[in-house]
Amino acid sequence: MKRALTVELLKIRRSPVVWTTTLLIVVLVPLLCLGFIAAADGGAGALGAKAEAMVTGEGWEAYLGLLGQMIAVTLFIGPGVVTAWAFGREHSEHTFASLFALPVSRRSIAAAKFVVLLLWGIALTAAVLVAAVIVGLIADVGPLEGFDLVGNLARLAVAGVLTITIALTIGLVASIGRGYLPAIGAIIMLTMFAQIAVLVGTGGWFPFAAPGLYAVAGAEGVAEINTVQLLLVPVTAAAAAWATMRWWQHAEV
Amino acid sequence: MTDTFPVPLQTRSLVKVYGDDVAVDGVDLQVMPGEIHAIVGLNGAGKTTLMRMLLGMVKPTAGEALVRGQSAQTAGPRVWMEVGCLIETPFAYPELTVRENLRAAALLHGLAPGRINSAIARVLSGFELSGWEHKRSRTLSLGNRQRLGLASAVIHEPSILVLDEPANALDPAGVVFIRDLLRSASDGGAAILVSSHHLDQLARVADRITMMHRGMAVGSLDPDGIDLEQQFFDRVYRVELERGAA
Repeated sequence: MKRALTVELLKIRRSPVVWTTTLLIVVLVPLLCLGFIAAADGGAGALGAKAEAMVTGEGWEAYLGLLGQMIAVTLFIGPGVVTAWAFGREHSEHTFASLFALPVSRRSIAAAKFVVLLLWGIALTAAVLVAAVIVGLIADVGPLEGFDLVGNLARLAVAGVLTITIALTIGLVASIGRGYLPAIGAIIMLTMFAQIAVLVGTGGWFPFAAPGLYAVAGAEGVAEINTVQLLLVPVTAAAAAWATMRWWQHAEV
Repeated sequence: MTDTFPVPLQTRSLVKVYGDDVAVDGVDLQVMPGEIHAIVGLNGAGKTTLMRMLLGMVKPTAGEALVRGQSAQTAGPRVWMEVGCLIETPFAYPELTVRENLRAAALLHGLAPGRINSAIARVLSGFELSGWEHKRSRTLSLGNRQRLGLASAVIHEPSILVLDEPANALDPAGVVFIRDLLRSASDGGAAILVSSHHLDQLARVADRITMMHRGMAVGSLDPDGIDLEQQFFDRVYRVELERGAA
């Protein structure tokens, strides 16, 4: 497992897909939140009206509320694409055959991919939260007195890690689909289904929507989410990871 | 051969069927230590499928594909540590440099950490890749990618080698290089199974040549014989005539 981890870590460190995704999310997400707040304050026009609908409260509460909505989407799509790449590339680039006839099992290689992706996802979540706080302080989004910054950040951190955890399920689609494209299709469909599940009020029971609901829990008009619903997220991800590792062990070229 | 020294590579009545297509049809062959056993055949003859079954990449429909006496489907790490292979695409991740690819191959082949750097230095020099050591493999020519794939296959000095068309994309100097590589590995005791379209290349290096046609082993060629191409096509023609008559 250690050998597979070293190799997968090397591949992810050198991947342009990983670095591009990291930079886009860490830089753009906080700036987009600021932009939406500015648009909501401006009030005028279609964008202003839309932004106003997304923003609840004022100052840091509004800013971090928006950040919760943003990370629920971007930390699924970004890590989902990276997961699709990590598993699908072995088929699209025909390197899958190179992973046979080795003393390191393919199950270990798949497990190493999940571990490395999870660690990267946790680092990405931490980086986007740190970047958001720095951007918020520089832009002076509001007074910090009386605002539970640490508590709110902790909630967003949990939501972010749950989001990237559920994004790992894309590895199963990329494996069975033997490439990136089916996995990219799955990311789009699951993002849409999550929106629909939230709209019809069953989002808490849909593991692809639950982390987003937790991120914005307590905001006006958002249903509370319970522990069982949240636990479904890691359980679903673990089941998908198990199925993926089993597929890797038994799949033929 | 006793169980203490099981045959490095062996197939027994090996069959692979895809739908209505019989890709490999009852092939028996073995490769002994220090032997270069070549398989020749037209495209679609079943050479690659046979090798894939010996490497555990594809499950046989019937028969056995054995590596050191163990089924390729269930063989453990000790067996695979002895094996090096190159089937179709070389082990070359485009985002990694040549050195990083070699390091990854060494790790996955189970080479002891203390031996990895010296093994990399040995193959960089032996495969004339030193000038590209720090280049990403996506920037390599096809020929150098193939050299990298071969270097990755032998970095752990395997005692069993399975190479499918190893001379693909190589220039004449590269072909000579492959012949020297195979000869030197077999002199060191390695059992080598190699496929090629080019009969004259194999004639200069193989100890045994098996002809495959329509999934079957249809005979052997004497590597020291004359006009191997003529012998090959005569045999293929006879098989086709027999099929037509049946």
